[in-house]
Amino acid sequence: MYNMVRPFRIDRNILGLRRAFFIISGILVVAALIALPLRSLNFGIEFVGGSSMDFKSTGEITIEQMRQAFDDAQVEGPVVQTANDARTGEPGFIVRVPITDAQQASAVADQIVATLGLSDDSVEVNTINPSWGASVTQTSAIAFAVAIALIIIYIAIRFEYKMGVCAVLSLVHDLLIIVGIYAITGREMTPNVVAALLTIMGYSLYDAVVVFHRINDNMSNTASHSFMTVANHSINQVLMRTINTTLASLIPVLAMLFFGGETLRDFAFAMSIGLILGSYSSIAIATPLYALWKQREPKFKRLRNKFGEGLDEFTVAEQLGE
Amino acid sequence: MADRRFKVKKKPSQKRPHIALLVFVLLLIAGAVFMFWPPAEKIHQGLDVQGGLSVVLQASKADGQAASADEMTSAQAIVERRVNLLGASESSVQVQGASQLLVQIPGAVNQTEALNVIGQAGVLEFIDLSTVEDTATVSVINNGTAVPREYLAGLGVLGQIKDLPTNAELFVESGLTTVNGMPTSYTLPSSVYSNPLDPNQPLPISALESGGDWTPVQLKAGPDGSIFSGSNITQVSVGRESDTSPYYAVNITLDSTGASRFGAVTTKLYPTKGKVAIVLDGFVQSAPAVQSAITNGQVAITGSYTLSQANQLKTILQSGSLPVSLSVATSQVVGPTLGQDALKAGVLVAIIGLILVALYLIFFYRGLGVLTAAAIGVFALLYLGLLALLSFFGVFSLTLSGIAGIVLAIGVAADSSILVLERFKEEIRMGRSVRASSMTGVRHAIQTSIDADLVTLISALALFFIAVGSVKGFGLTLALGVLCDIVTMLFFKAPVIRLLAPKVIGKHPGFWGIKEDEQLAQASGELKRGVQHG
Repeated sequence: MYNMVRPFRIDRNILGLRRAFFIISGILVVAALIALPLRSLNFGIEFVGGSSMDFKSTGEITIEQMRQAFDDAQVEGPVVQTANDARTGEPGFIVRVPITDAQQASAVADQIVATLGLSDDSVEVNTINPSWGASVTQTSAIAFAVAIALIIIYIAIRFEYKMGVCAVLSLVHDLLIIVGIYAITGREMTPNVVAALLTIMGYSLYDAVVVFHRINDNMSNTASHSFMTVANHSINQVLMRTINTTLASLIPVLAMLFFGGETLRDFAFAMSIGLILGSYSSIAIATPLYALWKQREPKFKRLRNKFGEGLDEFTVAEQLGE
Repeated sequence: MADRRFKVKKKPSQKRPHIALLVFVLLLIAGAVFMFWPPAEKIHQGLDVQGGLSVVLQASKADGQAASADEMTSAQAIVERRVNLLGASESSVQVQGASQLLVQIPGAVNQTEALNVIGQAGVLEFIDLSTVEDTATVSVINNGTAVPREYLAGLGVLGQIKDLPTNAELFVESGLTTVNGMPTSYTLPSSVYSNPLDPNQPLPISALESGGDWTPVQLKAGPDGSIFSGSNITQVSVGRESDTSPYYAVNITLDSTGASRFGAVTTKLYPTKGKVAIVLDGFVQSAPAVQSAITNGQVAITGSYTLSQANQLKTILQSGSLPVSLSVATSQVVGPTLGQDALKAGVLVAIIGLILVALYLIFFYRGLGVLTAAAIGVFALLYLGLLALLSFFGVFSLTLSGIAGIVLAIGVAADSSILVLERFKEEIRMGRSVRASSMTGVRHAIQTSIDADLVTLISALALFFIAVGSVKGFGLTLALGVLCDIVTMLFFKAPVIRLLAPKVIGKHPGFWGIKEDEQLAQASGELKRGVQHG
C-alpha cells in the first residue's frame, strides 16, 4: 500500500497547462461578454421594485390556471414559475408582478388565493418599492466595493501588491463568468446572490494569496529553479489542501442547494459556482499570472534565462531539503 | 541537581496551559448550552421565520430635506398607535437608519388591512360634533365610552368599584376635556368607582388608554363639520395651565384659515357648551367642550393633564401636521407555517452539513479527523450559545438569510480544520517530531486560518454595516460564525492536538492517520543521508 516512490514523485505539471487554462478562461469570459448584452441580467425585485408572490401547497393547480387567475385579476405581465417545496415536494408557484404598491399587491394575492381556493396561509407576498430597490442596489454596490477594496488593502499590507493585483484579476475573471452564467441561465440576480458572491470571492482571493505566499517561501530557499518551476511545485504542495478545503466548504453549501427552501437555494447556487470557480482561478489564473509577472523581475529573469522556459524538476535532495 | 529539578518542574507545566484552555472551553460550552437550550425559545426568530408582516416605511418630507430625529420619533409613536389598533401583540416599530421605520407584526396578519392602517398619512381633523349624523357615536362621546369589565379587572381596580352594574360593561364619564375653561375629569361616576390610589382623584384616562380591549370610537364629520385639519396647525406647545397650576395645557396656534373657521364654530357652539372632537385617522382622541368663542387662533386644551398626558396629546396634534410622509418601501408577509417550514429546512440543512463535514474529516484524516469533527461540534455549540446570548439582549433574530450565513460558517469552520490538519501532517512529513509539529504546524495553520477568517470577516461586516435589507442578517451570522471559529481554533483545536500529540497521537500513528506521513519522513531521511554520503 505504501509506495516508496511517492516522496520523489515528479510534480504534476499544472502550470505547463497555463496556456490551456488561459484559452478556456478566455473563451468563458468572451462567452459571458457576448451573452450579457444579448440576454440581460434578470434582476430581482429587491433591486428594481415589484412584487413577488410565493404560493405554497397549490395541489393540482396548473401553471395555466395560475396565469388565468392573474389575468382575471387584471394584472399585467406576471412571470409565473413553478417552485416545488424542496423538503416536502409539494407543488407551488412563484409569481413576479410589476406591482410596486404593497397594498395593491396584497389585495391581488388575496384575490388569487380566493380564486384558486387556496388556504390563506399558503401565500407569501413581498413588495419592494423602486426607490427602496435603488437604495438596495446602491448599498450593495458600495458594500461590494468597500469589501473588495479592504481585502486588497489587507493583502497588500500583509503580503505584496503584485499578489493583490493578480488575485483581483482572477477575481474579475470569476465575476465576469458568474455574471455570464446568470445572464445565460436567466437566474434571478438578488441581493442575496451579491452577498454570497462577495463572501466567496473574498475567500477565494485569499486562497490565491496562500499559494503566492508558499511560492515566495519556496523561492527564498532555492536559487536553482525558475520562478515558474517553484510556482508549480508550490501549487502541488497545496493542491490537496485546496481541494479538501473547497470540498469541505462545498458540502454544507450543497446540502443547502438540495434541501433548502427558495431563499437558501438562491444563496447556495451562487456560493457553489463561486467556490468552484474561485478555486479553479486561484490555481489556473492567479498563480500563472503572478509567476509570469514575477519572472519579469531582473533576478527571476536571470533564473529563467538560466533554466529555460519549460518546467524543470525538483531533485530528490531539494524535495527533502525543506 | 538544580538542573534536574528544573526539568521535573517543566514537564507538567507544558501541559498545564493546554488543560487550562480546555477547561475554559468546557465552561464556555456549558454556558453556551445553558444559554441556548431549548433553542426554539432561546434563539429569537426573525419575522420571515416566525411568520408575520414586516414593513419598511420610508419617511420623506415635502421640502426634500431629511427628516430629523425628533420627527422620526413622532412618526414612530404614531405608527405604534396604529399598529396597536390592529390588536397585534408583540408587534414592534423601530427607527431604522436615518429615515426609515421598520414595522414588524408577528403572527397571522391580514396584510391588506394592516397596510391600509399603517401606510396612510396621519390625518388629524377637528370636527364639530353637532354636525355628526351618527347619533349613536355622538351619544357614546357625550355619555361615555364603554369599558369592558375585564379591562378594569386588568387595571386592578375592579374590587374598588361599588354598585357594579349587572351587565359586563361600565361607562366612563365623558366630558373628555374642555377648551379654555373648567376642567372636567375622566372619571367613572363616583358612585361606581373610586381611584384605588387616591379616592379623591379621578381615574386618569391614560391608564385606560394604555392597553386592554379599549375600543376606539370612530367618527366621521357631518356636512361642513370638519373645522380644520392638522395642516392648519402652525405650532403645538405644552405649558402649565397657569403659573401656579399643577396641571398642564396643550396650546395650539392656528393659521388664518384655521383661526377664522374655528372662530365661527366656537362662536356658534359656546352657548350650548357644544363639543369639538379631535379625530386622528378617523378615531376620536379627545372631545373637549367649547367654553368660549376663540377667534384669535390661540387655543388652549386643558383637562388636569399631567406633563406626560399633555405631551401625549401634543404628539397626536402634531401627527396631522407632521411634515414627514410615510411610504411603504418594502412589505413582506410570511405565513406562520411557511416560515416554520423554511426554518425546518434550514435547520435540516445545517445538521446535514455538519454531519457530512464531520464524516468527510473522519474519512480523510481518521483519528485527527475525529478530533476536528469534535471541534466542529464545539464550534456549533458555541455558535448557538452566542446567537442565544445576542437574542437575550434583543440584538439578534434569526432570519432565512441568516441561516445561509450559518451554513457558510460551517464551511469556514471545516476549512480551518483542514488547514490545521494538513499543516500538522506536512510538518511531520518534513521529519519533525509529532510534538514539534503540533506546536509549530498548528501555530502556522492558525495564522493562515485567521488571515483567511479576517478576509471573510471583512466581507461579512461590510454587508452587515453597509448593505440594506435581508443580507444584513447573512453578514451578521457569518461574522459571528467566523468569530466562533477563531475561538474554537485557539481554545479547543490547538490545545487538544498539542495535549494529545506527544503521548497519544505519537504512539498510534495508524489510528490518527499520520502513519504515512511518518513513513515518508523516515524514507526521506534515509535517502537524504544517502545523498549526503554519496
